[in-house]
Amino acid sequence: MAYLWSLAALIPLNNYGHYIHWGVIDVSVANFIVVVLMILTFIAALFLPFPGRNRRKENQ
Amino acid sequence: MSTKPFRPDVDAPKYEGKYTPYDIIREGTIAIVVVGLLVILLATLFGSPDERAITIKTWSNADPIDFATTALGELNGTTITAQYGAPYNTAAPGQNLGPLKLAQFAGVTIPVNTVRDFVIAPLTSQPYNKNLSAALSQWKGASAAQQSSWVSNYTKGASKMTWSNGTITVPATNTGPVPTMINSLTAMARSGALDQALVTGGGFYTTNYTKPLLFVADGTYLANLAQKQHLLGSQWGMMNETGSYPGQAWLWLYTFWYQVSPFSSSSNADVQVSALMGLLSLLLLLVPFIPGLRSIPRKVKIYRLIWREYYHS
Repeated sequence: MAYLWSLAALIPLNNYGHYIHWGVIDVSVANFIVVVLMILTFIAALFLPFPGRNRRKENQ
Repeated sequence: MSTKPFRPDVDAPKYEGKYTPYDIIREGTIAIVVVGLLVILLATLFGSPDERAITIKTWSNADPIDFATTALGELNGTTITAQYGAPYNTAAPGQNLGPLKLAQFAGVTIPVNTVRDFVIAPLTSQPYNKNLSAALSQWKGASAAQQSSWVSNYTKGASKMTWSNGTITVPATNTGPVPTMINSLTAMARSGALDQALVTGGGFYTTNYTKPLLFVADGTYLANLAQKQHLLGSQWGMMNETGSYPGQAWLWLYTFWYQVSPFSSSSNADVQVSALMGLLSLLLLLVPFIPGLRSIPRKVKIYRLIWREYYHS
């Protein structure tokens, strides 16, 4: 069974979480990070050029 | 021949720009590989939530007085389950949406009699024990009024309940077989036998945990653990996960309604929030048909940002 322990998470997150309170809002730091990453991904998708754009231009 | 006027929200203008090839298989393969690698990396780094299951055994060993108090509540009909109404019993009208008595329409589909199912039946299933057998015979042979009187007398002293040397003690008299029943049920719970007794039945595989879950939820032990983990409904718990893991962030709007008036203080909050979310989902589904709402993407013009090369040229 010892080898199974080597598969354990390097950074386990089973300790109690941290929360951000703001008025009626009560969100965990982990959820907040995920939401921020989603927003950043959306913004990146808006502004980053489509991959292969230059290649397509060359083909035209 | 008359032509229809062009409606900007409904009609699509004829595209007269250039066409470029797009390899969707290639893009899809890249997406799957990248997401797969991310999953492996994040799983290696952070693992996944690994909370041990809460059972009646763990509860009664951690807090025998809370268990015994809850067992007494099942006997005197004061627990959440005993007073819930449909689908478990007819003790309350259940949730409704205005004049629509939805819980009553559905009826009692999972009948639970807390005295019979949580106390008497499990104790009866135990191997023969002289004291317990005599207590059960006394209980079953008594009138409902007598049973109620015993339970009432025991309940009067329950606030001074103590746990010592594996025995629950309550300073009360004229309690008939109730002390023996509560002590036997507590011993049964602490051994793990009550968990088994409550899930048994219903087929070859015993996967129906309704009764043990209801019993555990009637106590304060589970609620206290949930509160520490920020999992209560009043703590936006629907979108939280145990530990420091991210949870179901996409349920933010669903759980948001539970935090604000009038839902936060409503006894029909579940039905009301479900109805509101159903209405909002319907609005989202019907956006193309709702004047004004369907114009928002055209007026906000984010699409021009995405296809800026086309619009620039």
